[in-house]
Formats: sequence, C-alpha cells, structure tokens
Amino acid sequence: MASRVAIVSMGWYGFKSSVDELSFREMMFEAATRAYETVGLDPRRDVDAFVSCQEDYWEGIAITDEFAPEPVGGVLRPTLTVAGDMLQGVAQAYMMIKTGYFDVVVVESHAKPSDITTMHGIFEMALDPLYLRPLNPPNMHFLAGLDAAAFLQRSRLGREHLAMVVAKNKRAGLSNSRASHAAPLSPDDVLSMEPVVDPLTRLDIAPFSDAAVVAVLASEEAARRFTDTPVWIEGISWITEAGTGALAWHTIGAMPGLRVAAKRALAMAGVSRIDTDTSFAEVDDRYSYVELLALEELGLGSPDEVARMLEDGDLDPGGYYPVNPSGGSLAAGVALEATAGFRLLEVYERLLAGGYEEGRERGVVASWRGPPTRTFSVAVLGV
Amino acid sequence: MAMWGKDPRVSVRYPGRMEVEKYVYTPGLHGLELAKALKEGRLIGTRCGDTIYFPPTTFCPDHAMGEPVEIKGPWIVEAYTVVREDSSSRRLDKPVVIAYITPLDAEGGLIHYVEASEEEIAPGIEVEPVFAPPEKRKGTIRDILYFKVKNSAQE
Repeated sequence: MASRVAIVSMGWYGFKSSVDELSFREMMFEAATRAYETVGLDPRRDVDAFVSCQEDYWEGIAITDEFAPEPVGGVLRPTLTVAGDMLQGVAQAYMMIKTGYFDVVVVESHAKPSDITTMHGIFEMALDPLYLRPLNPPNMHFLAGLDAAAFLQRSRLGREHLAMVVAKNKRAGLSNSRASHAAPLSPDDVLSMEPVVDPLTRLDIAPFSDAAVVAVLASEEAARRFTDTPVWIEGISWITEAGTGALAWHTIGAMPGLRVAAKRALAMAGVSRIDTDTSFAEVDDRYSYVELLALEELGLGSPDEVARMLEDGDLDPGGYYPVNPSGGSLAAGVALEATAGFRLLEVYERLLAGGYEEGRERGVVASWRGPPTRTFSVAVLGV
Repeated sequence: MAMWGKDPRVSVRYPGRMEVEKYVYTPGLHGLELAKALKEGRLIGTRCGDTIYFPPTTFCPDHAMGEPVEIKGPWIVEAYTVVREDSSSRRLDKPVVIAYITPLDAEGGLIHYVEASEEEIAPGIEVEPVFAPPEKRKGTIRDILYFKVKNSAQE
C-alpha cells in the first residue's frame, strides 16, 4: 500500500496589509527558509520536487511560472506551478508522493495584493468575456452579494447572523499574530454599517493581506527522518464547477463543488461527521456568509442548525466545535492563492499544539478559491 | 528599515502595465449563434437531449454537440443584489440592481442589470429583456440594455 503523506514543516512570512520591505520572491525565500531550517532540510539535496501555486495576473508577470524555482531552492529541479490555491497544490504534491516516485515535495504559495493597483481590472478579466464581463459591474464583490442574498433567502437567516460571524472571527484573531485585521467588534458594529453590495457591509468582506506560505510534504519514511511530529494528510480533494458563463452548472446561494470536495476528503479520512470525528475547522470566510454556507456543505447541519450553534457560542474558540479559531480571513485577510495556505498553516500548528480528545485529533481545512471562481478544496489533517 | 526609509516603494517603484485590453475573443460556434440572435432581439440556448441550456454551449454534458433553440422565458429573478459602492469604495450616485435571472424554459440563466426600484425588486418576480434599438445592436450581451419588471411602466 502506498505510503501515508505528512506535512513535516511549514514556514510563512507577512500576513500584513502591505509587506513593503520585500518583493514577492523575497517573501517566498523567507517562508521557505523558515520551513527548511525548522527541520534541517537542504532544498538542494533533500527535496525531490517543488510546487508553486500562483497566477500570472496576481504577479503582473506573464508566464510567471519561470520565477517559481529560484526563491525556494528549486533551480534545475523538477518544479511545477498550479494556477490555483495552495490546497490544490498540496493535493498535487500528495499524489506525487503517493506514486512512490517522490519522497519529499515542497509546496509554496504567495500573494502581494498590495502591489496590485488595479484589482478591479483583474477581477473583471476573470469574468466570462462573452456573457458577464461586458456588463462592466461597478463593484467586484457583486457576485458575492448575489450569492449571499440567495443564501440568506434560502436559509431564512438574516444579516445579524453574518454580523455574528464577523464579530466572532475579528475577535478570535486578536490572539493570532498573523491576524493583522483583527478587532474587538460586536455584531452591532457590523449591523450599523450601510451595505456596500447588499447584504454585505465593508466588515463582511475580508480585506487583502500580503503573505507567503511554504509546506514540506513527505512520505512516511522520509517524514521520520525530519521530524518526530508529522501531521498527516488523511484526506484531500478539490473540485471546479464551471466558469462564470456556464450558469447552468452553478447553484447560486449554495456551493455544490465544496459539498463534493468535502464528501470525498472526509470519506478518505474516514470522517463521518466533522463535529464528532474532528476537533475544529478552518473554513473559508472571505465573506461572512461563506462560513455558514461552508459549514452546511461540510455536513455540520442545516443553515438553521449552524446558526443556532453560532448563536450559542458553539463555534467560538473554546466552544463545542471551534470554527476559524484563527480569526479566519476576516481577521487575517485574503492572501490570494495563499489564503488556503493560511488555513492549512492554522490547522497544522493547532494540531501540533495538541490537547485534543483521543479519536478526534484532526482538523478540517475548507477553501474556496474566491470569486469569480467556483473552485473548492477540502483537506483533513490529523496527528 | 532605515536603509530604505519609511516606505521603500515611495522611493523606488517599478510601474507596470499589462496590455490586456487589446485581446479579442472568438465567440465560437454557439457564441456566433447567440450574437446573430441578439442582433435580431432574440435569445438562443442549446438543446442537449431533453434539456435546454442558457447561455448556449457548443458542447453538451455528454460531450455531444447541441443544437440552437430559441429561449422565450418567462424570466424570473432568482436573486438580486444592490450595488451601492464601486470597487474603490466610492458611493454610486444611483445604486444599481444586478440580478441572477433564469428562464423557465431552460437550465441556467443570465446575470444582468434590472431597472427597478428597491421597492419593486424581489426574488421570484418576472422580468423581461429590453433590447437596444436594432441599429445600435452589436451582437453582444449588452444588446440587452437591462431587464425590466414585467408590466412595469419603466421603459
């Protein structure tokens, strides 16, 4: 049987509104150096392949793949890029190790949104050029507004539930050094704001952050050479629904792609229910409503049940089933393709910290690549 | 940081421009059919077996080619949002309504503007496309100027 796959080390840099002192390549170098030094790994000797998760438009460089190897120690070594979020890259690395041809694979992702002066233009370029882009929508969050409105309509939840998610996550982030956008807010602070794109206010929309994240993945045998505390990838899957022109494949106000990815990843890990078989989850919350929707698609309960858990504090850090104890993207920002890397890092570090009930020593990562994509990834990590 | 001053990007910046506005997109077989229909003030989808898809697609879920078929509606607002600020956080003089609109005779739909007041707009209401005058149509989705509430006085 193929080897299990572990994360043996992770490194990061940034998670600030603007990392002024370093270029994106230097941020990659810093994150990689931290990941390698922790376990005494020499990337020129010990790594079989490198995976970089990035996208030309984010870098402002066409065919930016060529810039991937150097900062992570991958020059003249097998390197591939994934134009997707970091969890998609982790899935590729996982499969490479499962083949038996690779023992150690490094996955990196980075984001420098502070370098992007025309974020709206990039978003527009990602819309279907025939059916959606010609509308020239004035605000790039309009798709999220539509999705959030449809979710609230279907679930019969209200803006107050979204406000509770914002307050919970912004506050949870206060104890997280990566959560630069944390704040001691109350739901009323959110509800008192006028929406930007109905029903979402500025506080319901996670701001951007600059960040780089690097993970070192290894086969079971190789993992033991580097660490006594591997964190196992017990399940992982990713799904893309379709582009924004093919609306027949989308269910607005729901995330069937996330549901399918979750089903597959949870089944791989032997998880029947996330709240009984795992201890916490870091799920997408780049918009407040997404956290509730993601929990529904992860099978935690109906929107009604999830809302009740939220009201009762069950989803708080230290609650019955903590969701985004890190503060999520609402507190740490959206770091483009490294956003999933942030969630992975949080689950990785929290599992290493230990203290979980036996049989539930697992955490869930659920990621959306963000609008206008309909791409979702889910992973289950365990110790 | 002393080496660079307070904000290194203020002293040294490398501005760039991606020349993406020059791209042209081939509409493809189905896109061309839709373009022709739009110029005639009509909308077409693709029939794949018993199911009709809108917007049209050249290839069906079973990977066979579909055939064009006219979409007549009625068009229903599935969900809507009111955009009050632009992406640069500037308040819009007049908020705009963007809706996901589905035709009852096909799977899928269109995201488009609805000219309706906030009192009028609601999920489930029927709307209809308002086309540009024939001489101004270009075969693009903007040949539909907006959707209006069916039987509304709005023109």
